[in-house]
Amino acid sequence: MKFTLLPAEKISDFVQALSADGAVFYPYLENGKTHLQKYAEGKPFKPDFRRIRTAENVKHFFFPSRHTVARFPNDEKKEFPVTYLFGIKNCDLRGVDVYDRVFLKWEPVDPVYRERRKNVFLISADCPVPEESCFCSLVGLNPYGEGVGDVNFTVVSRGLLFEVFTEKGEEIIKKHQGLFTEAGGEDEKERALIRKEALSKVRKINEKSLKKNLPDRIASAEKSRIRDARGECVECHACLHGCPTCYCFLLSDYKRGSDIERVRAWDACYYAAYARVGGGANPRSRLDERFWNRFQCKFNYFYQYESIYSCSGCGRCWLGCSAKIDIREILWNA
Amino acid sequence: MERVNPYYPIPARIKKIIPETPNITTFILDGKPIEFEAGQFAELTIPGVGEAPFTPSSSPYGGDLEFTIMQVGRVTGALCALKEGDLLGVRGPFGKPYPLRDFEGKDIFIVGGGVGFAPLRSLFLALVHNIDKYRKIYIRYGARTPKDIVYRQLIPTWEKLPSVDILMTVDVDDESWKGRVGVVTVILDEIPVNVKTAPTVVCGPPLMMKFTTQKLLAAGFNDANVYLSMEQNMSCGLGKCNHCRLGKYYVCKDGPVLTWKDIKDIEEPFL
Repeated sequence: MKFTLLPAEKISDFVQALSADGAVFYPYLENGKTHLQKYAEGKPFKPDFRRIRTAENVKHFFFPSRHTVARFPNDEKKEFPVTYLFGIKNCDLRGVDVYDRVFLKWEPVDPVYRERRKNVFLISADCPVPEESCFCSLVGLNPYGEGVGDVNFTVVSRGLLFEVFTEKGEEIIKKHQGLFTEAGGEDEKERALIRKEALSKVRKINEKSLKKNLPDRIASAEKSRIRDARGECVECHACLHGCPTCYCFLLSDYKRGSDIERVRAWDACYYAAYARVGGGANPRSRLDERFWNRFQCKFNYFYQYESIYSCSGCGRCWLGCSAKIDIREILWNA
Repeated sequence: MERVNPYYPIPARIKKIIPETPNITTFILDGKPIEFEAGQFAELTIPGVGEAPFTPSSSPYGGDLEFTIMQVGRVTGALCALKEGDLLGVRGPFGKPYPLRDFEGKDIFIVGGGVGFAPLRSLFLALVHNIDKYRKIYIRYGARTPKDIVYRQLIPTWEKLPSVDILMTVDVDDESWKGRVGVVTVILDEIPVNVKTAPTVVCGPPLMMKFTTQKLLAAGFNDANVYLSMEQNMSCGLGKCNHCRLGKYYVCKDGPVLTWKDIKDIEEPFL
C-alpha cells in the first residue's frame, strides 16, 4: 500500500474516527495565520491545509516547555495521551527529526522523551503555497513530507491523497480502511504538479542557494562578520523558543510536599547565564559570542554529527525577531 | 519508575565529612551508589536545591564513594552545609574514562592544581591498584598556600609507595612550609619522563590548565597524550541539554577529559 485516497466528503468522518482514539490537532485559520486547534465533536471542523506551517511549532507535543522528568523518592510512571497531529508541514518534521536523533538515536535513549513521543502520530500535509518567510529548500527539505512523519497527504481535487511511511502510519490507514478508496494515476499526476509548483515557488523566494561547504564556511567564518549580524538583537529569545529544532533544556528541582520534582524546561543559548559555571566563569558572557555559537550549533556541529542542519527553514526565527534579523542573509554571506 | 530513568538520582547517605582546607571538603558516602571508572563523573543532587557535576575522588576499585568539593556557588554552598547522616542523590557515571590500557608500560605524569587534585586522586588510586602495569607515576601538585593542600594526611603514605614520585609547590608559603614556592609550572622545568610516549594528565583552575598545557607541549609531550579535565556548565550529563558544548564536543559525554589534540583548535578552551 503506497497511495490511498480519502475522498473529500470523508475527511470529517476520518478525523472523528481518529478522535475516538486520541486528541486530533489540525491547522485552523485565524487572522491570517493557522494555529493548531483541537478537534471537538459537534464543533465546526474547518481545517486549512493549504497554508504554511502553523504559528506554533509542534515540539510542545513531545517536549513541553516545562515537564517533569523524575520525582523522588516516590517516582511515578506516567501515561501520555495519544495525539494525532493532522496536517503539519515538512519543516516541522525536521524539528521532530532533530529531536528523534538527539533523544532516541544518541545513546543513552531518553525514556521520558520516548514515552511522550511514541503516542504522537504525525500526519503531515503538502505545503503548496510557500510564503516569503519559508526557506525549507535551503536546508535540504522539500515542501512536502518525505518520511520523517508517519503518513503524508496532498490535497487533490478528489480529496486527500495519502502516502504511508511508517508502521504507525500503516496502522492509522488500516484501522480506518473503510473510509479510503483506491487512488488513481490522475491523483498522482495532480500531486506531482502541485509539488512541482510548490517547489518552484519556494525556490523562487530563495533564489540564492547556500554554499555546499556551508559547515566549513560557518566554522571558519570571520567571527566578526557573524557577530556583527546580530544587529539590534534585544535578546528576546523568540528565535530560539520558536524554533522547532532547538532542543536545549535545563533541569531544576522543586519541593513538592515530601518529594522533589525534577523539571526539564526549555533553555536557550542566548541567555547570558546559559554556559556560566558554578564558580562564575562564563565562556560566552557576551551576546556576540552567543550569537556566533548559535550558528556553529545549527550549521556546523549538528551537521558534523548528523549530516543535516539543525534548522527547518520554517522562518519563525525571522518572523518572531524583534530586530528582524533574517537568518538567510547570514547564511548566504557566510 | 524503572531505574533506567537517567534523571532519577540514587539516594546515598553521607557517612563522613572531612574538612580538607578552609573551603574544600571531602564527603564520604555510605557504600557505592554507583560504579565508575577513573575519569568519569557524577551529578550530585542536594535535595530541593539542585544538581551539580563532580568527579569522584575515591578509588573506582572498592571502598566508599567519595567526592572532594570546593565551595564556589549555590549548589556547593548548600552541599557544604550538609551534615553526616544527611541524604544526597547521585546520578551517573557520565562521560568517558581515561584510556588506562594505553597508559600501561609507560610513565604517567600527573599535574594538579588546587581542588583539581580531587579527580586526579581517583585516577591515582586506580593506577596504584594495578601499579605493576605502569612504569612510574609522577605527581606534580600546586596549591595556593600550605593550608590549601588537599589530602594532607594521605600524601605522606603515597610518597612511600614504590614507583611514585610526588613534588609539591605553593604559591605563597608560610613558616611551616619547607618545599618549593611558586605556581605549579615552576616544578615542571624538569620532566623526568619520556615525553614522546608518556601520557600527562592535568586538572586544575583555568589559568593553571592553560599555562601548564603550554609548558607540557613546549616540553615535547604529544598533543594526543595531553589529557585535560575540562570544565563547562552541565545540566543533564547525557549529551542532550547542550550546555556543556565545547566546540563540537559534549564535555559530559565526550569528556570530561579531552586531549589537547581534541581541543587545540578551539579558541580559549579553558574558562
